[in-house]
Amino acid sequence: MSDALQVRLQRASTDFQRLQSDLSNAVESRQRLDAQLSENELVKKEFALLTPKNRVFKLVGPVLVPQDLGEAKTNIETRLDFIRGEIKRVEAQLKEIEGKQEEKKIELVEIQTALQNMQAPVTTARSSALAL
Amino acid sequence: MATPSGQTVNVHDLDVPQLADVRKQLEDELAHLTNSFAQLNQAQAKFRACIENVAEISPNNAGKTILVPLTNSLYVPGKLADPENVIVDVGTGYYVEKTRTQATAHYTAKVAYLRSNLATLEETLQKKRDNLNYVTNILQGKLQAQAQAKA
Repeated sequence: MSDALQVRLQRASTDFQRLQSDLSNAVESRQRLDAQLSENELVKKEFALLTPKNRVFKLVGPVLVPQDLGEAKTNIETRLDFIRGEIKRVEAQLKEIEGKQEEKKIELVEIQTALQNMQAPVTTARSSALAL
Repeated sequence: MATPSGQTVNVHDLDVPQLADVRKQLEDELAHLTNSFAQLNQAQAKFRACIENVAEISPNNAGKTILVPLTNSLYVPGKLADPENVIVDVGTGYYVEKTRTQATAHYTAKVAYLRSNLATLEETLQKKRDNLNYVTNILQGKLQAQAQAKA
């Protein structure tokens, strides 16, 4: 009986650890997206200030390729939309993982209390001595 | 930042291991913020250097020979052909040709932008430092109380 609980505890804690690493991965990509969003927004602001006299280039591999300002502006717009979409996706992912983690935590606590209750009759005398 | 603000807990009510955890977390946050602060400062210094470099590209220096760095240690001679325009990296792979005055304005704006960010970061850093000192004091007080209780 206690063995079955031990197995469950093992499985639940590995699940929990996996969820934790998933969560930190999601947080990381959320931060990266935030950085990209602010960089693109800065570029958009910069483009808004430009006059037709300013030539725009794009770095493609090792060379600078001349770009149409309007084209560059729409390009940045699509990128911003894409990043915002990605942020929404990752946010949903974060919420989901957090929920799952919460469930696992409850499960873990349940298993642990069950284990303790089973061991309690044997160790009551000792643990109460320790508590004193 | 990362602390869930569901309920407020009085730090005086925490026991020693919990306080140690809080202190550890605060220390981590402080280290992260200090790191960001240093990076922002570096970026600002780089933009300042850019302003100075743009000032060097003046009509006075047109046609003069310069050394163009190909790598860190390999240079080739070149001539300053266009003293009026420079090309500025605006981020995300885009580069814009600007006149010297425009470029200087661009970099000055960047430096000002970073300065405002640095100011807010400085405030946060100070607050975190105060929090850390506060928690450390309580922790030390509790440890002393414990030691005295034992003695």
